[in-house]
Amino acid sequence: MDVFLQTLVAGILIGGIYCLIGIGMSLIMGVMGIINLAHGQLMMVAMYITFVLSAYMHVDPYFSLIVAMPALFLLGCFLQKYLLNPLMKVESILPENQVLMTVGIGMVLAEIARFIFSSDYKCVKTSYGGSAFFISDISFNVPMCIAFIFAIVITVALFWFLAKTDTGRSIRATAQDKEAATLMGVNSTRITIITFGLGSALVASAGSLLIPIFYLFPDIGGPFTLKAFVICILGGLGSTVGAIFGGLTLGIAESLGATYIGMGYKDMVGFVIFVLVLVFLPGGLVGIKRLIKS
Amino acid sequence: MKVLKILMVFFLSVTLCFTFGVSSSMAAGTVKVGIVLPLTGPQAKFGEVEKFSFDLALEEINAAGGINGKKLVLVIEDDTGRPDVGRSVVEKLITKDKVVMIGGGYSSSVTYAVAGVCQQNAMPFLVNTGSADKITGSGWDWIYRLNPPVSHYADAVTSLLVEKVKPKTVAILYENSLFGTKGAKSFEKTCKKFGYKVLLKQGYEHGGIDYKPVLTQIKRLNPDIVYMVSYIMDASLLMKQSRELKLTPKMFIGGAAGFTLPEFVENAGKASEKVISATLWHQVLPFPGAMDYYNKFVAKYNKPTEYHGAEAYANCYVIADVLKRTKSFKNTDVKKALSQTDMMTVFGPVKFTTWGKLKNQNIAGSYVVQWLDGKLELVWPTKHATKKFNYPVNWLKVWGY
Repeated sequence: MDVFLQTLVAGILIGGIYCLIGIGMSLIMGVMGIINLAHGQLMMVAMYITFVLSAYMHVDPYFSLIVAMPALFLLGCFLQKYLLNPLMKVESILPENQVLMTVGIGMVLAEIARFIFSSDYKCVKTSYGGSAFFISDISFNVPMCIAFIFAIVITVALFWFLAKTDTGRSIRATAQDKEAATLMGVNSTRITIITFGLGSALVASAGSLLIPIFYLFPDIGGPFTLKAFVICILGGLGSTVGAIFGGLTLGIAESLGATYIGMGYKDMVGFVIFVLVLVFLPGGLVGIKRLIKS
Repeated sequence: MKVLKILMVFFLSVTLCFTFGVSSSMAAGTVKVGIVLPLTGPQAKFGEVEKFSFDLALEEINAAGGINGKKLVLVIEDDTGRPDVGRSVVEKLITKDKVVMIGGGYSSSVTYAVAGVCQQNAMPFLVNTGSADKITGSGWDWIYRLNPPVSHYADAVTSLLVEKVKPKTVAILYENSLFGTKGAKSFEKTCKKFGYKVLLKQGYEHGGIDYKPVLTQIKRLNPDIVYMVSYIMDASLLMKQSRELKLTPKMFIGGAAGFTLPEFVENAGKASEKVISATLWHQVLPFPGAMDYYNKFVAKYNKPTEYHGAEAYANCYVIADVLKRTKSFKNTDVKKALSQTDMMTVFGPVKFTTWGKLKNQNIAGSYVVQWLDGKLELVWPTKHATKKFNYPVNWLKVWGY
């Protein structure tokens, strides 16, 4: 029983971080209808910002959230405004050339990081890095729990923003029906820029929260882009609520897989679920909701 | 069309001249040796220690007159820890740099790929770290190895277990790379031989964030020994998370590699204390120059060195010795000189013989080190030990609970 509970706890805690990664991608997917394949690489950039702040200015990784998130917001806005939006206007053979562009952006970001920091593994040491507390034999890693709490706070703030503010409502309107929103006076170009920035800022927060737990290197982005993609598919494309479920599901599934099937098969479990969802439940978890309704 | 052809021929000849020019720029007074090491990527820390040691040895050799008056030049190439890159850089060393022999070789997977290329090109390759048995066990006659194979890494650990710890049950965790898999397999064999029950043997993909699921499982099985074969980052994470879970076997044992680097104690902190590891060298061993090398390294680079560095340092001296003795720099002569090697280095005596199924293999010993107060101390075999083997260990107290 202990093994099961410990596995579950580990899965839920890592699931919180997966949520943040997934929501960012889901938001972008919902508004722009494209998959951002540079998502993990944006997280890598945030992680390096956190690393530099911590290693050279001794800023705590959690405080660097207030630097990393705005920085990545601006980077995201810049990418959308000057690299992705211009592509919309170009008639081309492939309608998905924006997606291809994100792949390119991801590669460039990784190579720039390699150029500046070389591909060595970097690690930020904190006083609380290895601390844990116990509730009846189940261990809770302190930085993991802090990350989980931050994830909840950030997610709640995001939902408040989407529900209550003008800009937030415009984002939702654009996601629902871009043309109608434009007709209603929403500046959809501006909205896409803000959304991409927002998505980047969210994944940046995930990066900063991961720093005390994990280490970083320029190629860290790729696996996380894949994870984000799996989460979005699990939750239903473009659904932010779905991404939360998707993130938690993936975290728990990986953790259970590692315990009961084998550590080496951890990633496989995630992808098997991914394929199963695509085959049997193409709408993801949101699809279930619709099924029940109808 | 014709103009295009002429242009192409022109460019081709220019490029050819250029490459030829580079290779013939090998001045008359130098001897070039190629070294393949991971200088970037996940294994860069190991590559760094080895590169520094090569540099140190090279300086000394050239200051003492080089190779019979000629200057020894090391062309160090970065394999980035990937076999495909390893292959291409060694091809470059052979065809473009025209080196007379190859040294280095860190990870087993890369070294094996590099060794394949060297064998094909009849290029003498003196391996100093890549340890999978099949590197010298494939019947390749151009491949020589200074370090013992991974199947013998745990020899000293085994004798320590038999004499001191006397475990009944064991759990084995390993990275599913060539080095990890082979290391785990040979330790499993040892366990069978001495009747220790292997409760769990699990491989993992490197780069995981959370090893707690598997560590929780180990905690439930409650083995006497947890044996881990890992590179640096995973080694630290495994120990850190074992501490978080209060996983307390009688002993944590590392199968060399990640567990002996100074970065291990830096990253894992308190969780590294009292962990033991197999090792192949320690500065207090009674080999001439061992302590000197350690002191020189610390003085120059301001950080400690360990067995990987000693292997590289010794390798450079063996290379110099071989090149001094060889009749000419033709590959067959260099190979002949390599076979006749019989010298003393900081890493111990070096002589290439047949060891079991392995060919051109130097027979070297293995030792056990323990992290005590953040320092790597030699604890086994007792006749060389600097500190007494700390056992049994009250882990919770050590970890500050």
